[in-house]
Formats: sequence, structure tokens, C-alpha cells
Amino acid sequence: MTTTDTTVELDHVTKRFGEFTAVNDLSLAVRAERIYGLLGPNGAGKTTTIRMMVNITAPDLGAVHLFGHQINEESQDRIGYLPEERGLYRKMSISDQLLFFAELKDFRGKAAKEAVDRWLERMKLVEWKNKRAETLSKGMQQKIQFIAAVIHDPDLLILDEPFSGLDPINMELLKEIVLEFKAAGKTIIFSTHSMELAEKICDDICLINRSQKVLEGSLIDVKRSFGRNIVALRAEGGEGVLEDKSIVSTVKRQNDEVEALLVQGIDPQVVLKRLLESGARIRKFELVEPNLHDIFVEKVSGGE
Amino acid sequence: MRKLLTIIKREYLTRVNSRAFIFSTLLGPIILVAFMVVPVLIAMMESGEATRLAIVDQTGKIFDRVRDSIISEASEASEPSLPGGLPMDMSKSTEERASQAGMAMNRDFKIEKVEPAGRSLEDIKRELNERVRREELDGYIVIPSDVLIGRKAEYYGRNVGDFVSSLQIEEGLSRAVNEQRLADTGVDQSLLRELSKSVTLNTFKISEETEVQDSGGAFFLVLGVGLLIFIMILMYGGTVLSAVMEEKETRIAEILFSSVRPFPLMLGKLVGVSLVALTQFAIWGLLIGGFSIYGAAAVKGQGMDLQLPPVSAASVVSFVVFFLLGFFMYASVYAVIGSIVRTYDESQGFLMVAIVPLILSFYLVFPVIRSPESTMAFWASIVPLSSPVIMPVRIVSQAVPLWQIGLSLLISFGTVVLLTWLAARIYRIGMLMYGKRATIPEVWRWVKES
Repeated sequence: MTTTDTTVELDHVTKRFGEFTAVNDLSLAVRAERIYGLLGPNGAGKTTTIRMMVNITAPDLGAVHLFGHQINEESQDRIGYLPEERGLYRKMSISDQLLFFAELKDFRGKAAKEAVDRWLERMKLVEWKNKRAETLSKGMQQKIQFIAAVIHDPDLLILDEPFSGLDPINMELLKEIVLEFKAAGKTIIFSTHSMELAEKICDDICLINRSQKVLEGSLIDVKRSFGRNIVALRAEGGEGVLEDKSIVSTVKRQNDEVEALLVQGIDPQVVLKRLLESGARIRKFELVEPNLHDIFVEKVSGGE
Repeated sequence: MRKLLTIIKREYLTRVNSRAFIFSTLLGPIILVAFMVVPVLIAMMESGEATRLAIVDQTGKIFDRVRDSIISEASEASEPSLPGGLPMDMSKSTEERASQAGMAMNRDFKIEKVEPAGRSLEDIKRELNERVRREELDGYIVIPSDVLIGRKAEYYGRNVGDFVSSLQIEEGLSRAVNEQRLADTGVDQSLLRELSKSVTLNTFKISEETEVQDSGGAFFLVLGVGLLIFIMILMYGGTVLSAVMEEKETRIAEILFSSVRPFPLMLGKLVGVSLVALTQFAIWGLLIGGFSIYGAAAVKGQGMDLQLPPVSAASVVSFVVFFLLGFFMYASVYAVIGSIVRTYDESQGFLMVAIVPLILSFYLVFPVIRSPESTMAFWASIVPLSSPVIMPVRIVSQAVPLWQIGLSLLISFGTVVLLTWLAARIYRIGMLMYGKRATIPEVWRWVKES
């Protein structure tokens, strides 16, 4: 076992299906013990990227490194993978299939049986242990699928749209577990197109669009580098300052509140000072961070 | 390797533990027994009552001969049709043998003589017709006085469509007439019977070491190999198919492929399902074997001597091997089909195509038996898909060079591996492109490209 700073590394990876290029010259690094968000619109190449990480398909060009090594069967067992396309054996009992999935990760015997009990307890599904999967509701099945991905206590957890279709209570439960994994020193890769969710949970993000990387970095850095200053303002007077095109580029009014986008390079402090000088009474002056959704929309539509 | 075992274990246990498996295992022999017993019961019902026959003998001297001849015809006719020419106890009385035969296809007869007593033929016929109508009689024969020269007689009956009866009557009459004519020329009766016994041909195969009497029993065994493959494919082909399609339909494939390579997955499925099939057949085999021993003992108790056909151990081993390979080969063809199609309905057309080589192999069996040395026989026993049926046929009909048997086995084995690999490959690529329907050229391109 080697511990390196990066758990997964993609080095100039390209994957084509016939004429179609699913992933084009993609390089990225997933840092250990952090939650990494793989973001992008549908069809951007997220799932193909993930499939190369879990060794389902091999890249045409470039290399994939896991835990500091070229990917192999042993490193495959250290991954827990919850694909977007997921199901259960309908006629098999819950405990039987969880043991089967564990065994495929070379996790067997008494320890595996105990893990099944522990996880069913945690997910509040103990009474379903010997029931067939087809008797479970959709939401319960999703929780079982999640258990199947984590039962062997993987060092790397890859979740492709894990929360789609879950009710808020179960979503909170899974989120809690993901954060516990991180606290236990595991790495988590998250694929989603829900920016709201990514913003709440991810430490690092990578934005993919049209099979190429658009941006990558820690959430904080990404937001900071997205150097836009938006000020949310509620004030009486000071209209002259907002109309000064040398400092404010656009103004959006919502009821009595104003959202002002400042010209690049203008310090918000200067604006505040000018407003005060103009005699305006200020009730609210707040710097608005750009949210991931805005960044996403601008980057994706800006690329066209 | 451990993962392969995990796959096999799951495929096997989930199927063997299913209600469907237990049900069909128990029901199978019952249906089989029903198939074997019911026709016999029906036949016994038919022969329960003897055919009542009256004979109008206008020659005045041939009646006894005709009666004996028809009754013994009823017993003897059944003997050559016993499989393998099993010896039958000849010391038994005619009545006993006749009643034994009655249990098979042949009719029992109750024959009465009609005395003319001075009446005209028309009157006799009118009276007999009346008796037939009243169901006192099933039919009557009129033997004209010139039967020895004209060789013609007339049969009047309620049921002239019963060809078994009329055939027996015809045979019996012919023999009686022949015997009468010979007797008229002064030939001794007992000598006559002795002379007209038929010949039994025992066949011996000359192999490299010894002469062994192999042909009869072994031939049935060989056809059994082909038939078993056929039955197993008909019964379990669909299971192989649904096993391959299971993860596709339940969308588990991707989870599995993140843990195990496609080839072990596919191989595991094939082996798992095959073990289920073999388990079921073994259970049936034991049941049938048990019944047979019981049945043989019962038959022996009645004084019949049943022998198992002599077959060499080497033949049995090679048949088992070819049977297994044959089953695996067709099962892997089904796996390929399962990996291409998306739904069970889509597979139906393909399934018929998959069975065609097997049926063609059956057609080849008889030409191969007649000339096992021919080029056609050689290739049919080497080429995959027909070799598991044809090679055993050649093995019993001639001494096949070892290298040919080896080659055939090797090619069969290679075909299984290749087809499994192909199925795995198509399956994986199909999964990566889910949502898209695969056409044959597309499948071919996938296989070549990746």
C-alpha cells in the first residue's frame, strides 16, 4: 500500500468510440482524503472518465494511475463504485447479494457478514435482510446499492449521481456517511450535474464540458479566480455612483435591492466609499460570492 | 480465479435453490414416465379384448393351419422389434408368448370355425354380417376353395382400418397357404418350421486391440449423446440466455465490471448454468437408473433375460467428453446471442438459427454410419458444432485414429473458449454503449476495434 497525495491521476487521457470522442486529452489529479466533484452537463464525458478510473474501459491514449500505480485488479478492489446505471438481482435476498458484491471485491467470511449487518442497521433496513430485492421500494433499493459500493470499506469511493431520486432524509443520511468516509481518510469522487450539491459537499472540483476539462481546483480557488465582484446593495440615494460606468458595469434591480456587478479590478471598498460620500443611506452592503451555478453556466455557454 | 468461483457459485446456488428448479426436477421424471407408460396402457387396453374372428373355409382342410398361423403370427411378429435383438425365452408355450406379445402392439385373436352345414356362401355371409352388426364378432374371413392357386381371400370386418390386424391376418394366411402347398408336396412339417427360422446377425467391430461386440448397444448410446445435447440445449439454452441477459436487464453489469473482468464473468455464468443442468440430469439419471434396475429385476422375475448392451469403457468416456463439449459449445453460442440482444423477445429468431447446425448433424449421422471413412465424415467430425454429434458416431463405427479424436476435441474446446471470449467482449462493449441497439455489422466493428 502506498500513500501519495494524489489518489487518482489521469495523464492526457483520450477515449473514442468510433467517430465520437468521449474524452479528449483530459488530465486531472484527485487529491487524497478530499471530496472531488466531477461536474459537467449530461454527455460531457463524466461517466466515461469514471469508467476509466475503475478499469471498466481502457483509454485509447494516456494513462490512469490509482494510488500511485498503473491501474490493476488489486487496486480495483480498493475502489467502491456506485454507477449511475445501477440495479439489484431481483430474486436474490438482500444479504445474499450484498455478500456476493463483497466477495467480488475479495471481502468475504465472517467480516463480510458482520459488515452486512452493520450497514443494514445503519440504513435502518435490518428487517429486510432476508427479503428479495424486488419486494423493496425504489428508495430502499438505492440504499442497498449504496451499501454494495461501500461494504468492503474501500479507500476510494466513486459515486456517479448518487442522490438522484432520493428523499431529503435519506439524502442527508448518505451525505453524512460520505463525510464520515472523508474523516476516516478516504478519497471520494463525486459526479453530478447538481451544482448546488457540489457546492455544499466538495473540496475540489473539475468541470468538464464537451469531453474537455474546463477548469479544475479547490472550490475556494475556483471561486476566487473567477474574479467577479458582485455587490448586493440596499440603499437610499447614491444612484449617481451606480450609473458611473467606470466602476459599475451592470445593475440588476430586485424590489428595493440592487445587484451591481463591478468593473474588473475595482475594489468594492472604493464603491462603498463613493456611496457614502454621495450621501446615500446604506442598509445593506454585501459582497456576493459567485456561485458554482453561475460559473458553470458562464463557462459552459461561454465556450460555445 | 476466486472471483470466477464467486460468479459460478452465485449462478449455481440461486438457480438450484429456486422453486422452479425443484419443481421441474421432480416433475421431469413423472412426465417422462407418463410418456412411456400411457401409450403402453392404451395398447394394453386395446389388446385386452381379443379380436373375434370367424373363418369360412371353403377348402375344408386349411382351417387349422390358418388359425395356428395367425395366432403364432401375433406372437412372433413382435420379437424382431425388440431393441438390440434381446434374447427371449423360446421355451415358453405359444399361449404365454402370445399374451406377452399382446402387451406390445399385436392383437390377440379368438378364432372360430364356421361350418357350412350345407348352406350357400351367401347365407353364411348374411348370418355372419348379422353377428358382426350385433357385435358378437369383429370380422370374418372367407377362404375360397381355390386359395392354394388363386392366393386370394376375403376379409369382412367392422374395422377394416385396423391395419395391424389385417397385416397379421394376411401374414398368417400367406404362411398357412405356403405351408399347405409344401405339405401337399410331401415335405415334413417339423422340418418346415425348422427351415423357416430367421437369421440373427451379430456385429463385431475390429479395433486396434481386440474385436469387441460393440455396434448395437453403442449405436444407441451414440445417438443418445446427440439427443442429450439436443434436449439439454432445448431445456437450458434459454437459461443460459437469461443468465447472460440478467445483469443487462437489472442494470448490474456496470457494478460487476468494476470488480471482475468480462471473460471470467461470462465463463462463470456458462459453467454455473451448466452445472445446474448437469445436476438436474444427474438426479434424473439416478431416478431412472433406479427404476431401470427395479424394472429389470421385475422383468427377470417373469423369466425374461435382459442384458445391457456391451459397450467399451473407452467409448463411454469419449461420449461423456463429447457430450460435455457439445453442450458447452451450444451454450456459448447462446451466450453470444444473449450478449447481442437487448430483450428476450429479440433473441427468438436467433435461437432457431443456433439449433440448425445441431439438426443438420443429425441428418449427417446415417451417411456417416454407412461410410465413416469418407471425407465428409472426417470433416463433419472435426468442424465445430457438428463434431460432438458426429465424432462419437465415427468412434463406434470404425477405429478412428487418435490424432483425429484429439484434433476434434481441441477444436471443440477452442471454439468454446473463443465463443465465450466473443460473448464477453460484445457484452462489455454493448454495456458501454447502452441505450443503443446493436446491428450485426456494428457488433462486428466493436469486436474488431476494441
